[in-house]
Amino acid sequence: MRPYVLRRLALAVPTLILVSLIVFSIMRLMPGDVVIRMVEGHAYAPTVDALRQELGLDRPAHVQYLEWVGGIVLRGDFGNSYWTRQPIWDEFVQRFPVTLELAALTILTSVVIGVLVGIVSAVRQDTVSDYVGRILAILALSVPYFGLAVLVIVLPAIYFKWTPLWTYVPFTVDPIQNLKIMIIPALVFGVTRAGPIMRIMRSALLEVLRQDYIRTAWSKGLPERAIVLRHALKNALIPVVSLVGLQMPLYIGGSVIIEAIFRLPGVGLFFFEALTRLDYPVVQSVNLIIAAMVVGLNLIIDLSYAFLDPRIRYR
Amino acid sequence: MAVAPAPVPTIAIDIRQLPRTLPWYAEVWVRMLRRKPLGTIGGAIVVLMLLAAVFASVLTPYGFSETNLRERFVPMSAAHWLGTDQIGRDLATRILYGARISLYIGFGAITVASVIATLLGIFSAYWGGKIDLFVQRAVDAWMAFPPLLILMSIMSLLGPSVLNITLVLGVAAGIRDSRIVRGVALSIRENTYIEGARAMGSGHVRVTLVHILPNVLPTIIVVATTGLSTVILTEASLSFLGLGVPPPYPTWGGMLSLAGLDHMYRAPWLAIWPAVALSLAVFGFNMLGDALRDLLDPRLKGGG
Repeated sequence: MRPYVLRRLALAVPTLILVSLIVFSIMRLMPGDVVIRMVEGHAYAPTVDALRQELGLDRPAHVQYLEWVGGIVLRGDFGNSYWTRQPIWDEFVQRFPVTLELAALTILTSVVIGVLVGIVSAVRQDTVSDYVGRILAILALSVPYFGLAVLVIVLPAIYFKWTPLWTYVPFTVDPIQNLKIMIIPALVFGVTRAGPIMRIMRSALLEVLRQDYIRTAWSKGLPERAIVLRHALKNALIPVVSLVGLQMPLYIGGSVIIEAIFRLPGVGLFFFEALTRLDYPVVQSVNLIIAAMVVGLNLIIDLSYAFLDPRIRYR
Repeated sequence: MAVAPAPVPTIAIDIRQLPRTLPWYAEVWVRMLRRKPLGTIGGAIVVLMLLAAVFASVLTPYGFSETNLRERFVPMSAAHWLGTDQIGRDLATRILYGARISLYIGFGAITVASVIATLLGIFSAYWGGKIDLFVQRAVDAWMAFPPLLILMSIMSLLGPSVLNITLVLGVAAGIRDSRIVRGVALSIRENTYIEGARAMGSGHVRVTLVHILPNVLPTIIVVATTGLSTVILTEASLSFLGLGVPPPYPTWGGMLSLAGLDHMYRAPWLAIWPAVALSLAVFGFNMLGDALRDLLDPRLKGGG
């Protein structure tokens, strides 16, 4: 297994280089000059040229690229924000726990709902509960999470005088209060993401339940609960894991919107605020860090198949 | 020991006597009506949306940015079926015109995406080798970005406009979908009739256009229809964040936007109806796309 892991790690390097090139070129080729806005709107420097020189934007693009990548590889330095001059990495690290907690709670909600409804749907195939489950999954697929979020904020406020909690409290300060704040955004986002998980759980479990070893388990006289939960579920979970892995970019992308709506001070809000100010280095580095995380996660998920299905061989 | 070949019995068939068969692109709708109730409902929603978009100006007496400060926050009534907003614009009108914008961007972006996916996918599969390896690593790298993050970055640099968002969504979806087209083109390339065509002296362009493209076409149609709901949803997300379609054009995402949150507390219909319209559209395109995929190209099934 070790050569396989090493080979996969080596393959990730060219991907990461291409990722950095793509994000760097996008940021440099597009119109929209932040420097003009900084000088004219906010008097950051006497002239546009002076600020350009100060920020190192007067040098050729390849020098800027190499300096950016070199800083990351050699010193772990992701650059500074144009506006606040603060190191991006520090800000990212400080805000990342919020996003991680949101993502973890979202994945937990969507997997718990999706897997439970999927199991019921598969075991009671073509009954009323199956149809209800499938209709719920289609609804979850169709309702946009940001629309649901707006409705969850607006409607209870009008009819029940209830609003989500707006002031963020870190988990380390008050875990209970923190969870009270996070649960609504995580539920809203998780419910809308449960649809695909339910569908794939149902079809995977149906397929596994038709296999020979399940018939053997039945003929041994095992109860249904043991057959489904202990024998079938483990194999049927493989496509669910790979789906969650494949959809990781969607979870992260969506958390930007969710954080912006519920005013959670995570990486998403950091990114969104940087975008509105055209803060290139922040946008560029956050994109790179998150893409690198996606590459890493895909790797971990590939390796985790080994635990779920030892039949998968490494070449 | 030579054996004389058995005489082949001749079969006379008068093709005029055979039952008429429809071409595949017509027959698929018949099968959809018979076998795919959800797909049919989805198709009906899409047709309704198309009608709303085409006849928006006939269906409503108001203009989409026509304000009337004497009729602000009017609830649902005979004059304003879905009520009015904070500056007295008719919500039903804006939702109808919103369908126009959504479809305009949706179909525009999907057309761009299909062209790019087809060119890139067939090119990469047909040439294979180092070219394929490089193109696929670039596609890998592109797919590592959460789509919303990179699209937000590009749109904030380009500035919101209908043309920009159509092109950006189209290119992004095209790169992603090229992976699927490539997969299908790879398997078609291995067929003996491709070898035959080449042996008969067909050039690369002829092989690609006459032999590969028609066989990839059903896949492209499936990828395009299933992609439409994603494009419409992404456009709505970007407009929701103020990075998509600029005002005064009415878009469902823009109507839900946080900028109007204070008004929504006063007039909840401003939040409800755009959300309903958007969900219905996504539902319609999802169901239609799923049904078409099952009928045209069952190989693509799976993955949520």
